[in-house]
Amino acid sequence: MVRLSKWLLKEAGTGVNKTLSDILVCPLSKQALRVCEEPPSLISDSIGVSFPIKDGIPCLVPTDGKILDTDDTMKHDNAADDSANNK
Amino acid sequence: MHSLQFSVPLLPTSRFKRHSVRCASDRQQLFNRIAPVYDNLNDLLSLGQHRIWKRMAVSWSGAKTGDSLLDLCCGSGDLTFLMSEKAGADGKVIGLDFSKEQLSIASSRQYLLSKACYNNIEWVEGDALDLPFSNGYFDAITMGYGLRNVVDKRRAMQEMFRVLKPDSRVSILDFNKSMQPFTALFQEWMIDNVVVPTATVYGLAKEYQYLKTSIDEFLTGKELEKLALDAGFSYARHYEIGGGLMGNLVAAR
Repeated sequence: MVRLSKWLLKEAGTGVNKTLSDILVCPLSKQALRVCEEPPSLISDSIGVSFPIKDGIPCLVPTDGKILDTDDTMKHDNAADDSANNK
Repeated sequence: MHSLQFSVPLLPTSRFKRHSVRCASDRQQLFNRIAPVYDNLNDLLSLGQHRIWKRMAVSWSGAKTGDSLLDLCCGSGDLTFLMSEKAGADGKVIGLDFSKEQLSIASSRQYLLSKACYNNIEWVEGDALDLPFSNGYFDAITMGYGLRNVVDKRRAMQEMFRVLKPDSRVSILDFNKSMQPFTALFQEWMIDNVVVPTATVYGLAKEYQYLKTSIDEFLTGKELEKLALDAGFSYARHYEIGGGLMGNLVAAR
């Protein structure tokens, strides 16, 4: 039952578990990745690229990466600032 | 958003009349296509012996309880599951492959197989030439029938060296490119008269004809040992198994 729940949660595409996100780095810069919940993805801030997570499996082939527009990175910075100010 | 494109230039086919040269994306599509019947064909074509060779590869890797392990080009996960049994509940195994279809099958098998220790496996879609892991992370690496299919074997060896902890081993199982004429002829005969006709029944003749080309373009045992030493490994030894049809390279960092 526990195994089924764990598998279902992963398959729901809610992202990777924390252990895996700690292990993985950007395949190109080898720097740390940041987890994004929606859409489920791993962000490499070092090169401004987003890698998707599909069915709980991180897709880290370099050609899977999408270059983030400046707007996307600015939105994240604003959200991070807001949450820091609210604390 | 813009897609990140790293295209490998396709070589003009007129330069290679005898061998068809495939880029990485062709190979990725090939493995996606054969995914549904891959396991069945492995069993059929090796008469189940691939299971023994894979156990040998895992033993040679030195994997043990509590280790952090990597199975490269994991495909549908045969070696990954064996590594998982070695690592146990306190260990961790990453199965990495560039074929989404193969990983999907691997993930389904993980759920269907009943062993609790398989919870220590995580699947990652990735490229053996650009591994998404930091330096010196893994206690052991296995690679089964993968090195022959990567477009830059030198780079793959360098990446394996980079992500291995000091005093750790990589165990690479694959077809053996034999220097013995009889073995080489027998291998070729097997592919032409057993493998390809069987694959044809599954509608995969072309995909399995690629096998002969890829063995032809592969490295001999001695060349593989040199490749590992050039990548920085301090020890490299290639063992012939399966009557010389298969080979396992063991290299230590």
